[in-house]
Amino acid sequence: MDKLQSTRPGRRAVLRAGAGLVTLLAAPAVARGQAKELVVGGAAGHKPWVEATVAPLFEKKYGAKIIFEGTRSLVNLEKMQKNKGKQYMSVVQMDDPVMILAVKEGLLEPLTAAKASNLPDLLPGSTHMDGMWANYLQPWLGVAYNSKVMKTPPTSWADIFDAKYKGRIIIPSLQNTEGLPNLFAAGMLAGVSVADAQKDTDAGFKKLATLKPNLLTIYTQQPQAFNLLEQGEAYMIAPAMSSYALERKAAGAPIDLAAPKEGVFAMPSGIAVIKDSPNQELAFAYVNEMLGVELQSKLAGPTFSLATNKVVPRPAGLSTDVRIHQIDWANVAAKRTEWVTRWDREMAR
Amino acid sequence: MSTLRRFDPVLLLAVPAVAYLALIYGAPLLMLLGRSVLSDGTPSLAPFIGFFGDAFNWAVIGNTLRIALLVTLVCLVIGYPTALALTRARGAVQILILIAIILPLSVGVVVKAFAWQIVLRRDGVVSQFMIGTGLWDEPQRLLFTEAGLVIGAANVFVPFMILPIYSVLKLIDPRLGEAAATLGASPVRRFFTVALPLSLPGIVTGIAFVFSMAASMYVIPSLLIGDRFQTLATLTGRSFLFMRNEQLGSTTAVVLLVLTVAIVMLSATLSKRLGGGT
Repeated sequence: MDKLQSTRPGRRAVLRAGAGLVTLLAAPAVARGQAKELVVGGAAGHKPWVEATVAPLFEKKYGAKIIFEGTRSLVNLEKMQKNKGKQYMSVVQMDDPVMILAVKEGLLEPLTAAKASNLPDLLPGSTHMDGMWANYLQPWLGVAYNSKVMKTPPTSWADIFDAKYKGRIIIPSLQNTEGLPNLFAAGMLAGVSVADAQKDTDAGFKKLATLKPNLLTIYTQQPQAFNLLEQGEAYMIAPAMSSYALERKAAGAPIDLAAPKEGVFAMPSGIAVIKDSPNQELAFAYVNEMLGVELQSKLAGPTFSLATNKVVPRPAGLSTDVRIHQIDWANVAAKRTEWVTRWDREMAR
Repeated sequence: MSTLRRFDPVLLLAVPAVAYLALIYGAPLLMLLGRSVLSDGTPSLAPFIGFFGDAFNWAVIGNTLRIALLVTLVCLVIGYPTALALTRARGAVQILILIAIILPLSVGVVVKAFAWQIVLRRDGVVSQFMIGTGLWDEPQRLLFTEAGLVIGAANVFVPFMILPIYSVLKLIDPRLGEAAATLGASPVRRFFTVALPLSLPGIVTGIAFVFSMAASMYVIPSLLIGDRFQTLATLTGRSFLFMRNEQLGSTTAVVLLVLTVAIVMLSATLSKRLGGGT
């Protein structure tokens, strides 16, 4: 007993030493904060345009340095979870489905018009879950096609169902985020409104099952699918992301992306301020800049994406009368497992 | 002869390997087995009953076994003669065959899968050859079919069939064949009564290698046939990664493990019955 008690001060000492060590390790972060540095976490693919376009503008305007850490959305989530209470990143740029998980973990600080004045200028549907995050850009999903073998571009989501394209169509797996809108597009073709097609996918599943004779494959690896499209083995990929398809086109691949008359779908690129992170004021300023006209005008073109600020015009290749459907990602997160299970049973073989 | 042997200190040399395997392979396997029979924290066979009660899962098991058996068969049919040729070959020819078998092992599966896409596509060499020989009237689709998957997978796994058979064949005393010849056995008879039975251990090892790898392959089907064809391995990956259903993932993984071990043991038993096993 005595022995047990005698160990207690020892433990406290260890705790004190530990706390001291944490303070010591945290000190440089504080020092960094005083030097006005802002750590932004995003996708590895964002690095070129953040460093070339965003950082110079921001650093000039606010006299603060941007440190960009590029990785994958789920890795950013992991970093935020592990650093809860001692965050070093202040802003995070991630896909919407991962943002939902971050909200559930209580990792985000809500955006308000008082803190980010550009927020009210965004298109409807660009902010989510009571302002927990906003979309700064949206790559759009249309029908990619091989422009060598298809002289007339596709005009409708229904084109991929045409019997003359037997064995020539590729669609993404439901595992891929860009694969989900197939269910909604198929639902629309079956006569359901896009909002209802997202809630009740039954009509979509039934319509999609009729696509099977036309399928060359269902991909999980996007580069593989585009390789087949560029070789002419596949004629169309539906849906395909503007940020990938148009980049390949710009690189000289014989492909193009069509915006079907029923409308295109917007893919989510979200931005949020991390809860209890350093330099909150600067963090909100960064988010505000990303939602503003100046940066979005500069970024929409090179990233082949739609701006979310009302004032910024649509990018080249997408006419002004094309409808843009927004996806209810919270609903997707809740239903995805159920959909994948049904997909396996109905689309396999 | 006593069945008890004296302890050989040399066996201690195996300790690091055994400890390593126990730690990185055995422990996670036990955890996986444990998780597959736990339902909400209590031991239960419910996950397995649920799994086998679903007709879709039987189709997945059927896919897995059919593809693995076909791949193994193709590897055996191609691999045995190659191993035999390698045993008989001498000098530069032998080196050439060995390089042809071993060098492709250094090429990644993903690269091979992309290459097969070019070979198997509608205007690819296979299609052109078939039309050129008059066997096909028009280009046919091979890409993303079961035939395409079997061809691609056999290409990846065939060295694992050739090498064990070769290592057994080269140990067979050539005088045995000569002795049979002096007794009047024809070359065909010599092969079926001497070489083939003696090489059965190599065949069984090759079958065990190729079958277990083909049954559990993950990347090859996803690249060569796509999402429309589910095997136990792809279903396991999908359960863990996308459906966030660890229970289902553990169950499918255990079913795959049991099936693979059972088939491998069955083939070993059969080869002993046939008289070749040692």
